[in-house]
Amino acid sequence: MLPDAAGAVDARAAAKLDEAAVIRAVQRGDADAFERLVRAYDQSVLRVAMNLLRSPEDARDVYQEAFLRVYRNIHTFRFDCSFHTWLYRIVTNICLDHLRKRKVRREEASVVDTADGPVDRMDSFEQEGAQSDPERRLWNSQLSTRIQAALGDLTPRERMVFELRHYQGLRLRAIGDMLGTSEEAAKNCLFRATQKMRAVLGDLI
Amino acid sequence: MNCDAVTRALPLYYYGELAAEVEEGVEDHLQACASCQAELERQRTLAAALDSRALAPDSTLLAECRHDLARAIYREEAPDARRRAADPWGLFREAFRSLWHPGIRFVQPAGALALLAIGFFAARVIPSWRVNSNEEPISAGSIVSSIRSVQPDNTGRVQISLDETRRRVISGRLDDQNIRRLLLAAAREQDNPGVRVESVGLLKDQCTSAETRGVLLEAVLHDPNPGVRMKALEGLKSFAADPEVRRTLAQVLLKDQNAGVRIQVIDLLITRQDPATIGVLQTLIGKEDNGYVRMRCQNALREMNASVGTF
Repeated sequence: MLPDAAGAVDARAAAKLDEAAVIRAVQRGDADAFERLVRAYDQSVLRVAMNLLRSPEDARDVYQEAFLRVYRNIHTFRFDCSFHTWLYRIVTNICLDHLRKRKVRREEASVVDTADGPVDRMDSFEQEGAQSDPERRLWNSQLSTRIQAALGDLTPRERMVFELRHYQGLRLRAIGDMLGTSEEAAKNCLFRATQKMRAVLGDLI
Repeated sequence: MNCDAVTRALPLYYYGELAAEVEEGVEDHLQACASCQAELERQRTLAAALDSRALAPDSTLLAECRHDLARAIYREEAPDARRRAADPWGLFREAFRSLWHPGIRFVQPAGALALLAIGFFAARVIPSWRVNSNEEPISAGSIVSSIRSVQPDNTGRVQISLDETRRRVISGRLDDQNIRRLLLAAAREQDNPGVRVESVGLLKDQCTSAETRGVLLEAVLHDPNPGVRMKALEGLKSFAADPEVRRTLAQVLLKDQNAGVRIQVIDLLITRQDPATIGVLQTLIGKEDNGYVRMRCQNALREMNASVGTF
C-alpha cells in the first residue's frame, strides 16, 4: 500500500474509533458528546433534506425530527452498522414520508404556478440577476421547469435513490442498506429514474 | 456488447456502478461506436443540468436548525428533570431500576456501592435545590463534577477532592438588570451560536442603552455566525441615522462574506441618503461577485440619482 493511502486508512480508522467513543459517551448521557455528533453530520443531513424537498421549512422539520429520533433512540444503536448508515436510515425514512404525503396532496413545496407554467421558486431565486442574457435565462427557465416535472414523475423511492447517488455521491450498496433493500434494487431504481428524466427532458439535452 | 445493451448500461456506467468486466465491455464498445458516445454525452449533459440545481443550505438556516434542536431537547428533558427534582426518591428508584437492567446485572455489587454514594450526595444536594424563589429547581443531572485528587489515609478512609459546576436556571423580565447583564454576556458566548442568536434577538428589541448598541455593533462586525449578524442588524434598524452605526455598517458591507447580510446592510443604509453611502455602494459594485447584491446596489444608486460606476 502507498504511504499516503496507508495514512488515509489510518486517519479513517482513527476517526471511526473516535466516533465510536463519542457515541458511547452519548449513550451514557453526555450532552456535549451529542452536540459533537450532531455537528459532525448535521450539514449533510440538511443538504439532503433541502435538495430532496426543496423547501427550507420542510428541511428544518426533517433536521429536527431526525436528530430528536437519534437522541431518543441512540441507546438502541448496537454498532452493527456504521452510525452514518443508521442516521441516514432515519433521515431517508422521514424524507420519504414527506415525499409520499406530497404525492398524495400532489404538491411540490417550492413550485408555484405562473403565467409561463410551474416555476421552482428556489431556482428562480438563485438565477435572479445572475444572468443578463434573456435567451439563456429562457432556456434555463424551461430546463428548470422540465427538470421539476421529471423529478415529479419519479416515485419517492426513485427520487431518494437518485438524490443520494447523484447529489450526495453515496454508493448504491450503501443506499440499499439505508433503504432496507438490495444493491440490485437500488440499481434498478437509479436506472428507472435516469430513463424517466431523459424521456421528459428529451429535446433539451 | 451491442448498442442496446450499452445504452441500457450507460446510466450505471456514468455513476461508476457497473461490475469491472461489464464496464470494460462498455468502454470497448464506446471506442468504436459514435452513436453510443453521443448517448454518453447526453447522459453527461443531463447530469450537468441537474448539478446546476443543487442547493447548499446557508449557515443561517443551519444555525436556526441547531438552535431549534437544542430547544426541543431542552423541552424533552425539562419535565423529566422537574419531576425528579420534585420527587427526590425518584432518583433512587431510577438508580435501583437501572441496576436490574439485563445488560449490567454483573455489576450489582458495584451498583450497591453506587446507591450508597447517590444517597450520600443526594443528602448533600437536596436541601440546597431551591436556592431562591426566582430559580428553577435544580436536578441532580445538572451537576457536573471533576475529580481533582484521591487521597487514601491510614485508617482505611479516602479523601476525594472534586470541583462541582452546578447549572442554574434563572428567569425574569427583560427589563430586569440581572437578566440584561446575562443577555449581554450571552451575546458574546463564543462556543454557542444558538445562545448568541437568541440573546441578540432579545437584545435587539431593547436597544436603548449605549452598552446594548455597542454589543450589537460588535456582533455585526465580528460575530462569525451570519444568523447572529442578521439579528444584530435588525436591532440596529432604529439607529440607521446614527453616524457611528452608519460607519460600522459601511465597513460590514465591504467586508462581510454573507450575501444575505450585505443585502440587509444595503436596506439599512439606503433609508438615508448621504454622499458616504453612495461612495460605499459604488465601491461595492466594483468588487461584488453576487449578481443579486450587485443588482440591489445598482437599483439603490439609481434611486439616489447617483451614477453606478466611479470615474
